[in-house]
Amino acid sequence: MRIEYSYTFDLPKDTVWRYIQDDRVLRSSLPGCQTFEEMPSGIYAAELGLNTGPVKGLFSAEVQQVDQIPPTYYRLLVKGKGKPGEIDAVADMILEEAEEAEGGTKITCVAEIEVTGVLASVGQRVMVGVAKVILGQFFKAAEKEMQNEI
Amino acid sequence: MTKVVGKPLKRKEDPKLITGNGQFTDDIKLTGMLYMAVKRSQHAHARIKRISVDAALKLPGVVAVYTGKDVQDKIKPIRSIWLVPGCDLIAKDRVPLAVDKVNYTGEAVAVVIAESRYLASDALDLIDVVYEELPAVVHQEAAIEGSAPVIYNDVPGNVAFTWKAGEVPEEVFANAEVVVKQRFYEQRVAANPMETRGAVAQYNPGSGELTLWCTSQNPHIHRLQYSEALGISETKLRIIAPDVGGGFGAKIAVYTEEALAAFAAMDLKQPVKWIEDRQEHFLATSHARDQVITTELAGTKDGKILAIRTRNVASLGAYLSTMGAGVPTIDFGLMVTGAYTIPYAQAETIGVYTNTTPTDAYRGAGKPEASYQIERIVSLFAEKIGMDPVEVRRKNLVQKGSFPYTNPMGCNYDSGDYQKVLEQALEAAGYAGLRKEQEEARKNGRLLGIGISTYVELCGLGPSAVAGAIGFGGGLYENCTVRVHPSGKVTVLTGASPHGQGEGTTFAQVVAEKFGIPIEDVELFHGDTHMISMGWGTYGSRTTPVAGGALAIAADRVIEKAIKIAAHELEVSPEELKFEDGAFMVKGDPDKKRTFKEIAWSANNAWNLPAGVEPALEGQCFFDPPDFVYPFGAHICVVEVDPDTGVVDLKKYVSVDDVGRILNPLIVEGQVHGGLAQGIGQALWEQTVYSEKGQLLSGTFMDYAMPKAKFFPMIESSFVESPSPVNPLGAKGVGETGTTAAPSAVVNAVMDALKPYGVVDLEMPLTPEKVWKAIQKGRAVK
Repeated sequence: MRIEYSYTFDLPKDTVWRYIQDDRVLRSSLPGCQTFEEMPSGIYAAELGLNTGPVKGLFSAEVQQVDQIPPTYYRLLVKGKGKPGEIDAVADMILEEAEEAEGGTKITCVAEIEVTGVLASVGQRVMVGVAKVILGQFFKAAEKEMQNEI
Repeated sequence: MTKVVGKPLKRKEDPKLITGNGQFTDDIKLTGMLYMAVKRSQHAHARIKRISVDAALKLPGVVAVYTGKDVQDKIKPIRSIWLVPGCDLIAKDRVPLAVDKVNYTGEAVAVVIAESRYLASDALDLIDVVYEELPAVVHQEAAIEGSAPVIYNDVPGNVAFTWKAGEVPEEVFANAEVVVKQRFYEQRVAANPMETRGAVAQYNPGSGELTLWCTSQNPHIHRLQYSEALGISETKLRIIAPDVGGGFGAKIAVYTEEALAAFAAMDLKQPVKWIEDRQEHFLATSHARDQVITTELAGTKDGKILAIRTRNVASLGAYLSTMGAGVPTIDFGLMVTGAYTIPYAQAETIGVYTNTTPTDAYRGAGKPEASYQIERIVSLFAEKIGMDPVEVRRKNLVQKGSFPYTNPMGCNYDSGDYQKVLEQALEAAGYAGLRKEQEEARKNGRLLGIGISTYVELCGLGPSAVAGAIGFGGGLYENCTVRVHPSGKVTVLTGASPHGQGEGTTFAQVVAEKFGIPIEDVELFHGDTHMISMGWGTYGSRTTPVAGGALAIAADRVIEKAIKIAAHELEVSPEELKFEDGAFMVKGDPDKKRTFKEIAWSANNAWNLPAGVEPALEGQCFFDPPDFVYPFGAHICVVEVDPDTGVVDLKKYVSVDDVGRILNPLIVEGQVHGGLAQGIGQALWEQTVYSEKGQLLSGTFMDYAMPKAKFFPMIESSFVESPSPVNPLGAKGVGETGTTAAPSAVVNAVMDALKPYGVVDLEMPLTPEKVWKAIQKGRAVK
């Protein structure tokens, strides 16, 4: 399924670019993040305790950030596995100067997500909503972290 | 004694069921009982690299965990029972638990046995299965393309069989004045009985006897299959189908979970229960339909149909289910010409393996598909030649005087007056008035549609010799024992296995009338392989025509014997007696008599029997019908489509059915209405949906739209009775008429409503979104 979600940071584009892929920021702002470690391969291994609708329980995930075009684009690859099923997401992350808020940055996430198991047979219907809630929580927490960093 | 056959008596079964006193499989509780839960694949197609069960085994209360490797030498694969001949069938049997590879989402990979259902279920999360995902193929048309992933190396192109019947000479189509061709999709649906599947297994290690209570429509078929799979003699394996909460075909199939519960009970020497939950049911109980049918019709400009040619690409799912091959071939292909005299017919079916839940019978099984394509194409033909769809049907329906009529595939339609049924339906619906109303509505931009279906259905399965010839791995006769107790009360035992059809009432009506006793004195017993002689179960609208045939003959045998005893007691010859209203009376001297009750007493005591007559009073019959039965009906559906939302409003539904002789009009009407709910459900709401990767997306009742009572108008049903000549009761079977008739009646109506927008066909279900889009497209073209 396809999800499109936008969030506007009250921060300049360069700042958002610098921190949005920063592992410390990610560790603190990913919802329910219990571990977040970079492996030698450059892939991050994370454990996330999620609890939104059918997406419930501990998910172990591999997160990869690739194809960066600073400071406007990168691609996020997430493979997660939990008791209710597996998640495979490919997200294009686009940063642009916000039109509505001067000096702000709008980030748009366009993701293709595939799920298996109960997540698919029971959760598909609400998955788009769940993903948006989780993304919203993440961006909001990330903004707070970025403000603390600068 | 009053006549009770044909009376709308309330069902004898209902007080028990509606007061919560039914005894279903899940109601069975045994001392020391353990509970089984099933770990299912999350992938549609994947190699199993590793299964770790240690963590699950460590959970307190978990007694055992079995994987595919643990049971592969202990439980044989479950074979399909219907190996259709002459089509190079490659049957892929279900294994109890996947060993190296899973082939559909939901396939069982391990089971946990624990002290409670909750513990068993929790332990599933502790089993870690590592998969290597393989590309999956979900839709049958994609599966037969050269580039598709292959599920089995020895099944090239995923084609399990190519079946053909009949032949239309090429010149018939080449020279035809009119040819209509259309692709139809019978979407995948799920039966969804109210009670899901379940099993309770109890093993006696001393005697080696295994009792398996399970949700079965045909306990003797389950015994046949599980006896082989588990290596237990039929004498030691007792299958009991207690109260069964609906089946609709989904409980014909022989599955693996029940065998696993039985194996675990033997291995652990403790009773084991497994009850499927609804999410599991959506994944693991057979689905149905899923056939892409392309139909060509050759006809004349004045409305005569000359030939029908079909090509059906049917999805079998990942394994060949119990009747998986028979449904889209024999059940479908022999009936492609419907209720019309069409000289030529040809049917081809390609059975395809896909990474989906196996498909099998569902209320109608092949006949709804056959009926859908012919009823849709006949209406499209009418449209093409500018003739009223009723007129085209009048021109081509089998004529009254020509029964038995043999269709081009060799099926003998038994009896009927199709014209009378059609005219009765037109009259009941007010057809002429409806067309005028439609004309007016169109002027005002309202989309009113009228749909007609004149279906015929092959059922009452069936002659055993035919069963053998078409590769069915069993007979299709049925048995009834009529046992008269000393008090004159009667127990009827049958090999059919009713699970909602009401034979507890209708069979009692037949016996009560024959013996002249109250209906309360007759009880029906079924569903126990240790107590019942060989029989084949309830499906294919066979219970009343076939088991009812056995019943009538068995009851007559009782009367025959009772007359001898009565004559002996009255010191006359049997020929001098007549049996009326429950009394054996001397002709011309009606005061000299014995009641049925008196003879029951003396027969069972055997103090004074005539020479050569054995004690007791019991009759049995194994009835093998000479042919199938063919119910016919005309259904008319009126809809109004909201052009702004695409919502289809069912305004009127008229059904006139000829189901032969009616034993109980209340039950028959209930059967028609229930079938219509499911048939209309298929037309408008229901669909089992997979993602491209083979993930089931319709896994709850939030996603799979079951029909609700409030969706329907009052259904106006009436009947015409043409007794069938092929069984003693003259019954034709009624259970599957609704699902066979309704989809085409409804879709024809919606297409008729959408005519101003040039819409020719839409795939079922006709959801508001689909209809709305078609309207938008039509508007854009305009």
